[in-house]
Amino acid sequence: MRVRYLGRNAELPQALRQVRDRETGMTLNALRQRLEQAVSDRQDALAAAELERRLREDVVDVTLPGRPAPRGRLHPITQIRREIEDVFLGLGYEIVDGREVETTYYNFTALNFPEWHPARSPLASLFIDDDTMLRTETSPAQIHTMESRQPPVFMVSLGRTYRRDTQDATHSPIFHQVEGLAVAPGLTLADLKGTLLYLMRALFGEERQVRFRTHYFPFTEPSLEPDVSCFLCDGAGCSVCRHSGWIEMGGSGMVDPNVFANVGYDPEQVSGFAFGLGLERIAMLRHGLPDIRLLWENDIRVLSQF
Amino acid sequence: MKVPVSWLSEYVPLPMPLADLAERLAVAAAEVERVTRRGVPDVEGNLGRFVVGKVVEAGRHPNADRLQLCRVDTGDPEPRQIVCGAWNFGAGATVAVATPGAILPDGRKLERAKLRGEVSDGMILAEDEVELGPDHGGIMLLDDALAAGTPVVDVLPIADHVLEIELTGNRPDLLSVYGLAREIAALYDLGLAPLPGADPPRVGDEPVPIEIDDPVGCPRYIGRLFRGCAIGPSPTWLRARLVASGMRPISNVVDVTNYVMLALGSPLHAFDHARLAGGRIGVRRARPGERIALDGNDRSSSRPTSLITDGERAVALAAIMGGLDSEVGDETVDVLLEAASFEPHGILASSERLGLRSEASNRWEKGVDPHLAGAAATLASELIVELAGGRFVGHGESCAELPARPVTTLRPARVDALVGTAIPPAEQAAILRRLGFEVDDARAPWRVTTPTWRARDVTREIDLVEEVARVHGLERVPFTLPARREMFGRLDQAQRLRRLVEDVLVGQGLYEAYTWTLVARDEDERALRLESPLTADHAILRTTLADGLVGAARHNVDAGNREIGLFEIARVYLPDADGGALPDERWHAGGIVEGGFSRAKGVVEAVLSALHVEASFPRASRPFLHPGKSAEVAVGAGAAGWVGELHPLRLDGGWGIFELDLATLFAGVPERRVYEDVVTFPAVRQDLAFVVAEEVAAGDLVASAREAAGPELAEIDVFDVYRGGQLEPGTKSVAFAVAFRSPERTLSDEDARVLRERIVAALAERHGATLRS
Repeated sequence: MRVRYLGRNAELPQALRQVRDRETGMTLNALRQRLEQAVSDRQDALAAAELERRLREDVVDVTLPGRPAPRGRLHPITQIRREIEDVFLGLGYEIVDGREVETTYYNFTALNFPEWHPARSPLASLFIDDDTMLRTETSPAQIHTMESRQPPVFMVSLGRTYRRDTQDATHSPIFHQVEGLAVAPGLTLADLKGTLLYLMRALFGEERQVRFRTHYFPFTEPSLEPDVSCFLCDGAGCSVCRHSGWIEMGGSGMVDPNVFANVGYDPEQVSGFAFGLGLERIAMLRHGLPDIRLLWENDIRVLSQF
Repeated sequence: MKVPVSWLSEYVPLPMPLADLAERLAVAAAEVERVTRRGVPDVEGNLGRFVVGKVVEAGRHPNADRLQLCRVDTGDPEPRQIVCGAWNFGAGATVAVATPGAILPDGRKLERAKLRGEVSDGMILAEDEVELGPDHGGIMLLDDALAAGTPVVDVLPIADHVLEIELTGNRPDLLSVYGLAREIAALYDLGLAPLPGADPPRVGDEPVPIEIDDPVGCPRYIGRLFRGCAIGPSPTWLRARLVASGMRPISNVVDVTNYVMLALGSPLHAFDHARLAGGRIGVRRARPGERIALDGNDRSSSRPTSLITDGERAVALAAIMGGLDSEVGDETVDVLLEAASFEPHGILASSERLGLRSEASNRWEKGVDPHLAGAAATLASELIVELAGGRFVGHGESCAELPARPVTTLRPARVDALVGTAIPPAEQAAILRRLGFEVDDARAPWRVTTPTWRARDVTREIDLVEEVARVHGLERVPFTLPARREMFGRLDQAQRLRRLVEDVLVGQGLYEAYTWTLVARDEDERALRLESPLTADHAILRTTLADGLVGAARHNVDAGNREIGLFEIARVYLPDADGGALPDERWHAGGIVEGGFSRAKGVVEAVLSALHVEASFPRASRPFLHPGKSAEVAVGAGAAGWVGELHPLRLDGGWGIFELDLATLFAGVPERRVYEDVVTFPAVRQDLAFVVAEEVAAGDLVASAREAAGPELAEIDVFDVYRGGQLEPGTKSVAFAVAFRSPERTLSDEDARVLRERIVAALAERHGATLRS
């Protein structure tokens, strides 16, 4: 069609070549442009129709899986570790990675554990020799930090801790703790309560409530155990919270003046609070894990769920 | 500790619902693990169906030799006919009767029934049938002074609740029913009954000689002699209290010592006086290796234990357990009662070492109020006289000076400053007084005197702050966040880079594993070893992550998993080079992947690339790696780790494995990365393939090419290695994609040709390489 009407030897181009007057030329040119436009439009339409037809025929089963890319996951403990780190980074705390092999001074004595405390027994803790042991909590890092500088201190330490527990569904001799410490002039028990409420809501939801029960730890006075309102039953009572509506979350308290004395801080000038939680416990609660050993078996059928 | 509510309410009124009490105790004093119900259900008048009965007649059942047919007055107009299987009573006995309709502890409802042809209109109760005790040998015999028809619940706790309390180590004062009542009285501002017990009159003046050679371990010892005791079972009320508290009734005198321990918290011991050979009491430190027969087993005592002796031989491990030889038995007539005070130090260690934890040692090791021994002796004396008919004929006491009560100063403003509350001073003083403290609040700071039962625990101002805060109410403390002037909220470089490495490894398709720090063996013979490991499999602090990763991979293989790739980022513990006790703890990143050496190396390269660290891979071997497929990861001058294929004997299937020392890697991370202009002047890209002898390493070719071409060789990557075809055996073709680029100008074809010629010449000269056309 194009060759027949617009080709080199077609009527219209012939006529255009023979045009002498301006009037005729303009008319014929306009005609040629209209014809060219019509041809071009038609070509585009045909091409579009052809593409449309090919795409219509090029159908895949969209329910087939995609081409697999290698896929890994962070361990659930790492995920929770990062989440807690991020909460405290946001609160302006530093993350301090302490040693795992410690002296009994840093693990016990500086933290005000009395000589007779049962945790000092080889039946409770793992020793390398009389003075060297695997840390039973990450708190020794707090002593190192306080020894190295003056207040304020706002720090959390997360990592492996060790106790002489036989492995079962809820115990492991190796486990992970987060311990935090805040020291500054004028810190109060109310600040401890607010900080742990903030953490619990970050971990378990904004509707959570936190209550505190009096307790005893050598390194804090007063000592408190925080409970978080059960996130499964919302306090109504279920098997996870043992029908109490509350879930025990760890330990906390105001730093004992003896601990300050051990690092050369003046308890009349500064006060502080400390707290500790188990990461496995958080992971098991959040994911409904029935057995702590699942976290150490590294079965990718399990790891891939988180 | 199990505390029967019926017993507790003897010392303090309990008007509040039990659930409220449990909550308040848990928040302010001690964890209440659970509240359990004991005995018969208290529903729909059920308690009224258990009444005191007087046996009017008792005789053999006409149709059954083993049954008694009784008529029992239960306060109704007519006596009831009841069939009973027990024979420990006859006409005239006072018994407990369940009448038809009564619901028993197991939920069973008692019906009027015919037994061997005779109607039984109720049941005469044995103690186990209402959960008062374990005995089913006969029915309970009650005090004959009780009138027929009296509700049994008025005299015996047949419907009770038990608080199960878990105490913290600092509150041994709560380890008794009276101690808990005292705390409840303070928390709720209720009246507290006076200490139970009144000394019976002493009817003799026999000497009770006591010699204490260990006044530190035993500052106080009261001995009391009772003659003419009749050993037998305790009455039901006492047995019921022991059983509900979790102890086993034994015999009246022994039960009295346990009862007083539960009531007041001060453990007692009773000796058979006739079996104390020397007839005197001594307290001394054990001699090393000294043996004593306790529970039928010979126990060898060692260093810090205190012993009670009879002047000739050891008769008890002080504060832990009495000896078999001198214990009160059925034939005992004369009893020597010990009410002493032992100091806690060493008791826990001794009882653990000997494997003898007892209710008594549990109290002594936490610290018992030394002032309690007198009250305990008094209550026990009263009960031994009353229940065993003993005559109180002798009293001896040896006492070092009892410790003074601690006096502390308290600034009421300090309480508010630390707690974040505003508790009026008058309320603070009132709280302390309710808890038994004497408060001199005439002027600040106050002088506060601690009661004897808190003397070990409350010795400083901060301890008083805790007392005020917990009784005032932890729930009344507001939630606030610290006011801040300095902030520390950022990761340090190592922490930030560790997260990066984790993310890169996950991106490479690896799952993060957590494996045990403690291993069975380690390639480093100097690796740290636990003094007394849990098991031989967990005895050594690892110096490499490899074993844990291989174990984790094997677990996945055994589970039938496929496409297994795992990594771990954790510490290893390298023995201190200078012989110090503390190891060099280093963060390592390790991984194990299906797909052999090249896959593992690809993962390592991804990590290096993300960190912008250049590394080389000189051939190097390790015992657990394939000897031909292993290399060191060299960064700068040092080794940052290794990568290889696992030796098939360790785990078959072609596993790539690597381990990197993160501090070494991170040391090579450039502090700042500077922009390189790769945009203005485009690169000239070419593919070059060289035929070389099989043993020539691709890495050497790359190094030579870089050296020959200089900085204008911007990129050179191996993309193919080919053998066979027209190539001579023993040779291979290595193909490179190269890019030439200058930061100053666009390179011409001629420039590229010159660079290529230099590479070709260098590779020919150094490696015998020929360019394939």
